[in-house]
Amino acid sequence: MKNIKVSLKLFISLFAILSSLTLLMGCSTLSNGGVLQSQVLKAKSKVVPALVHLNPIKPVYTLGKKEEVIVIGSGFIISADGYIVTNEHVVGESKKVKCILSDKREIDAEVVGTDPFTDIAVLKLPSQEKYPFVIMGNSDNVQTGEMVIAMGSPHGLARSVSMGIISMTDRYLEDQRGVISVFNNFIQTDAAINQGNSGGPLVNLKGEVIGINSRMLVGAENVGFAIPINTAKEVVENIIKNGKINRSWLGLNLQEMKAITEDPNRQGVVIADVEMDSPAYKVGIRSGDILKQVNEEPVHARFQEDLPVIRRRLAHLEIGKEVELTIQRGDKEEKIKVIPDVYSPYKGQEVEFSEWGFTASDITNEMMRRLRIPSRNGIYISGVQDGSIAKISGLLAGDVILEIESQQVKNLEEFMKIYRQAIDKKQPRILLFVQRGVVTRYVLIKNIKDIKDEQPASKIVNEERSTTHE
Amino acid sequence: MNSFIIISTLLIQNIWGTFSSAQLETIYNQITPSIALVQYSSEVTNQVTGEVTRRDGNALGLIVSADGLVMVPGFVELENISSFNFRVRLNIKGEEKEFPALKLRKPDDLNVMFLKIDNEENIKFPYAQFTEDSLKIGSTVTMVGILGETVDYARCITTAHIGAILEKPRLTYCLDENVRLGFVGAPVINEQGNIVGVVGFDLSKAEGGEVYTRSGHPLIYQYSLFKKYIQNPPAVQYQDEEQGAWLGVITQPLTDDFAEYWDLPKEGGLIVATIVNPSPASECGLKIGDIITNFNGTPIKAKYETDVTSFTKLVREAGVGNRVKIEILRDKKPMTLTALLQTRPRKSSEAEEFEWESVGITVREITPDMRIALSIDETVQGVLVYRVKSGSPAQISRISRGFIIQAIGDIPVRSIDEFKNVVTIIQEKKPKEITFFAKMGNISGFFRIQPRWAE
Repeated sequence: MKNIKVSLKLFISLFAILSSLTLLMGCSTLSNGGVLQSQVLKAKSKVVPALVHLNPIKPVYTLGKKEEVIVIGSGFIISADGYIVTNEHVVGESKKVKCILSDKREIDAEVVGTDPFTDIAVLKLPSQEKYPFVIMGNSDNVQTGEMVIAMGSPHGLARSVSMGIISMTDRYLEDQRGVISVFNNFIQTDAAINQGNSGGPLVNLKGEVIGINSRMLVGAENVGFAIPINTAKEVVENIIKNGKINRSWLGLNLQEMKAITEDPNRQGVVIADVEMDSPAYKVGIRSGDILKQVNEEPVHARFQEDLPVIRRRLAHLEIGKEVELTIQRGDKEEKIKVIPDVYSPYKGQEVEFSEWGFTASDITNEMMRRLRIPSRNGIYISGVQDGSIAKISGLLAGDVILEIESQQVKNLEEFMKIYRQAIDKKQPRILLFVQRGVVTRYVLIKNIKDIKDEQPASKIVNEERSTTHE
Repeated sequence: MNSFIIISTLLIQNIWGTFSSAQLETIYNQITPSIALVQYSSEVTNQVTGEVTRRDGNALGLIVSADGLVMVPGFVELENISSFNFRVRLNIKGEEKEFPALKLRKPDDLNVMFLKIDNEENIKFPYAQFTEDSLKIGSTVTMVGILGETVDYARCITTAHIGAILEKPRLTYCLDENVRLGFVGAPVINEQGNIVGVVGFDLSKAEGGEVYTRSGHPLIYQYSLFKKYIQNPPAVQYQDEEQGAWLGVITQPLTDDFAEYWDLPKEGGLIVATIVNPSPASECGLKIGDIITNFNGTPIKAKYETDVTSFTKLVREAGVGNRVKIEILRDKKPMTLTALLQTRPRKSSEAEEFEWESVGITVREITPDMRIALSIDETVQGVLVYRVKSGSPAQISRISRGFIIQAIGDIPVRSIDEFKNVVTIIQEKKPKEITFFAKMGNISGFFRIQPRWAE
């Protein structure tokens, strides 16, 4: 009931916005002789048939449990055989996604692959028919001030269209509230974008998709961001071909030249940090060095927004094939050969350990950076359930399990094996050695048997309750 | 100067377990001369922002010796509160008198403080004389405290009951109702008319409470808990005091569960969980997983978290530079190690600070406890940005609290001394621009700053 009220309210306010937009457009019609209006209508008509409303059921790990949540998002078909592009944050780890096409048919699409770094996901509709699809434009040619249309399902209101202009063509948002976008800038627009618009197209007046609406500034008025379609094209192509995009890794964290000098003539990019034990670290590259060339091709980033293109350039290097970097240290230039390795996944595989009541994941380099984990050893506890064995035994979210039963934990798979054995054998006590920040600690897990025996009553009550609900 | 002593036995006997109004009046008249109003100033450090604010405070002071030893509540001095400028105000024969007082080192096993009145004139003060007398559940007690400023800090008498007796980990008594702030530190008189203790509050762990954490409930600290401090008052507290000896381990108690798991006798002990490197512990060959069973001749029988702090105290008092024998169990086998104890590193609250005005930052040395609290690895050297002045060059360059400055220009900065040295050199040259290399979490970067040099 409450939901209906809310959405009605939203609809009304949306209606108000649309009518005021018409009013505005009425003015331009006067001066443009209806050209703009007809352009908007034409552009809209080209894209709307390929617009998709998405209803994924997404697994999420929260407070030590794996749960499923229903998400609302947008997407668009990019080929006649039914490939759909949307945001990674819309589909997450779901395998199948319910899609509502523009003709209101409901069809399940499969998730082909996702890329959390650029927030892009590709889905595939069954190839039983020819689907209408969008034309992708060239986002390198967009200009600030250019008129654009945003389409999608704001707050679940499918097939909505809003309009505005491009406010800025290359907005750099490297790390905004934990969302990392190192490989692309964003197109900023004042076309209304709301929750639910995620994954929908940003379209120019020619009816070409130039971006994927993916973020907005909460608390601001009409400050939305779209991933440039040229960034997406490359990722999508890779996902369709390989199910994922492979990137190469040198271990360099880059900074713009402006961080160290105001002199516009100084060329290169600052190496702010070199990850421990990375390929670059092993060949002696250190923070403070200036990267000037990659395979004799010059690189230059004067401002932050120049960085994504260089990061992409480095990520495209062939994995395992030697590359020559020209490095400036002090006044000296040096050519250093280095072999790129595989770029770390954004997040590690996450699993719920329901018997003990916690969730854990493998540790990736990216997680070390974001979550301040000191090393890649062990597994990361992402959540602990209240009242669970893990909680009672003193395990905390954020702990890293280094050892189980005095054996080193290298990854989740190894941990799962020993865990499984312990559960199956009903081992009464299991010893963990955990890292909490820079401190280490022993945690003794009292295995399931004891605790279940202690509280048989509550277990039965819970089960009864769940049956009455159904 | 008149001198009068509070008589410890008031010669009243309560058969019904209450005090008559006449008895209360007698107690009031006898006790109030020893009750002082203590006024002081404190510096309070906000533990989140590091901002220091100054404020004035009042507390009840109870004179406990004729030469002017004053007992005050423990809230006067906490981990983040440092107080000074103590004045003890007494009402002697209707005349208000104020005496300056020095603060004595706060006991580490009880949340009370002692002051010593600067008694140049050798005045004999009226004082409260305590008796070690037991208290029974349900028995009535009376207390004399101080009311607020609006009622001129009038002395006030009230009664309450012993609501609970706490047997473990040490004997204390709980009052059956809450008390006003002005009654914290108030003398407690039992039905026999003896002064048997004072009203006290334990510190919570968050307030730096270590040994006993029965925070939030008004307790009676019976005489036996602080008798030793009245007989042998703590030393005057000076700045930069030595912190005692240090081993460099973080331990956890050998609970029965752990003992059972490792197939060890359930006799307690301390499991070595973390070793600071370098430290006396790492140098003497102590390893993670060792179980300490005896330290310097004292058996270690720790079974609960609260026992860990007693061990810290034991180490602290073992003497810097002393060689101590540590008996351990390693893989169930007994072993003896010898550690050379060093001076305990400074705590974060005593960390050296340095303000660089031209840039607008205050930095701090990184002490071992800060490394633990802020998860700063041993390999990370530098100084911690503690405060960034609003509108300063540092703020313009997006330097924030929590950054670790590791280099200025090309010169590495590994400690606060190195930082100060570099600043001295830079101050002379007054360059238009300087560059910091700083670490934020697991990410590093360069920051250009344009200092505002003083004219």
